[in-house]
Amino acid sequence: MIRMDNVVKRFGEQTVLSGVSFAVGEGEIFGLLGPSGAGKTTIINILTNQLDADGGSHSIGAGPLQTGLMLDEDGLYTRLSCLDNLNVFAGVYGIPRSLSVQALKNVGLEDAAKKPVRTLSKGMRQRLALARAVLHRPKVLFLDEPTGGLDPATARGIHSLILRLRDGGATVFLTTHNMDEAYKLCDSVALLHRGVIVEKGSPAEICTRHGAFKTTPDLEAVFIKLTGVELE
Amino acid sequence: MRSIRAIYVKQAKDMFKNIPVLVQFIIYPVMALIFTVLVAKPDETIADTMFVSMFSSIFAGMALIFSASGAIAEDRESKSLRFLVMAGVKPHEYLLGVGGVLFTAGSVVSVVFALMGGYAGAGFAKFLGFMLLSCLSSILLGATIGIASKNQQAATALGTPAAMILGFGPMITMFNDTAKKIFSVFYTQQLNIAVSDAHAGVIKPLGVILANIAVLAALFALAYKRKGLRG
Ligand SMILES: Nc1ncnc2c1ncn2[C@@H]1O[C@H](COP(=O)(O)OP(=O)(O)OP(=O)(O)O)[C@@H](O)[C@H]1O
Ligand SMILES: [Mg+2]
Repeated sequence: MIRMDNVVKRFGEQTVLSGVSFAVGEGEIFGLLGPSGAGKTTIINILTNQLDADGGSHSIGAGPLQTGLMLDEDGLYTRLSCLDNLNVFAGVYGIPRSLSVQALKNVGLEDAAKKPVRTLSKGMRQRLALARAVLHRPKVLFLDEPTGGLDPATARGIHSLILRLRDGGATVFLTTHNMDEAYKLCDSVALLHRGVIVEKGSPAEICTRHGAFKTTPDLEAVFIKLTGVELE
Repeated sequence: MRSIRAIYVKQAKDMFKNIPVLVQFIIYPVMALIFTVLVAKPDETIADTMFVSMFSSIFAGMALIFSASGAIAEDRESKSLRFLVMAGVKPHEYLLGVGGVLFTAGSVVSVVFALMGGYAGAGFAKFLGFMLLSCLSSILLGATIGIASKNQQAATALGTPAAMILGFGPMITMFNDTAKKIFSVFYTQQLNIAVSDAHAGVIKPLGVILANIAVLAALFALAYKRKGLRG
């Protein structure tokens, strides 16, 4: 569905991507993992044709209207309400406005429908950006750090939404620097370090291959054991 | 077409919530009203329409340049424009949507000015015609500045001198003949001539304004070709 072959990207003297190759199967959640500055956003920008690569080839098996996007900047209209933000795009896509209301419900923002975006919290803005990305039921979704800087409860809400989208048939390409998130959520991952993919495969496969398992103290388990409820 | 409509609606809603922009569309007619009632009407030596023609020229020159350049630069800076482009919106659709709202607002204010000036019949048509052409010129210029600017700050830096020259030019020419000659190549000066003097011919001002529009459209096309609307 999504594919990159030997893609090279330079910004001036700096080579940001050196021969990046990977493939994402249809209906998969693919996670691109790497520290800040690794080149994750650059890869999304190239795949979505916002940037031109200096070498190699790439493709996504969907047209612009079948693609949904959540970038590192949300690009929301801050003076407009949540619903109006979505309605702009409902108008552009030519889909009924009832889908905007539905999309707000899906991310739990129905109570904030009339609120101007500038009054929202970071997590609410992120959820609205996700609602806009999936508004037109795209076949392919690009999510640049969809849970970056969010509390665990909100992040879990976004995870379950991403899983539902995948189960509905969408292919999801996401970036993260949260290894835990990638392990739980992704069908396959690629580890990116300084513009080079150092490993790829399913998370379990990769860990087995490298004998990388750990038993860590788990505060959350203590909390659940003592109270019977999950940490919110 | 549906994209133009969606962007038009978005821009119109946004404008009503954007107080600094709204003020620009209200302040000039209000100033004209105050000066007309308090100064022009009581004073026999001042034409009743003097302040209407003065402030309408300032409005056409300033408000529309600032609002057009500001709107485009803001959408660029906030990256919201990217999402529109990624959703398949063509640059001309975006510009027609945004420009359309500003032209509508400019038309409404022009009608208010015309009524305030007491124009009727042919005089009304002439005033309105010149105002609308000037609004169009300013929107073209503002859009060019918006496209050429990375962010709102740059748009303000570029837009301010342009708006000062075009908006206040006609006022300066009242005091200086050399200035009058120089500024007469600009559309706002011709607008001012055409609307302040009922007996002034329309051919020359119309010709100069249309020439301005041609030059501005060419500048716009150039900026558009070099910068596009990507991010
Ligand atoms: N427009 C640009 N001009 C110059 N250098 C750039 C540009 N965009 C990105 N870079 C550089 O490319 C490298 C990769 O950046 P990128 O934004 O892809 O990283 P990232 O993996 O998304 O990081 P983060 O997790 O912080 O978002 C960085 O060193 C960055 O400085
Ligand atoms: Mg990034």
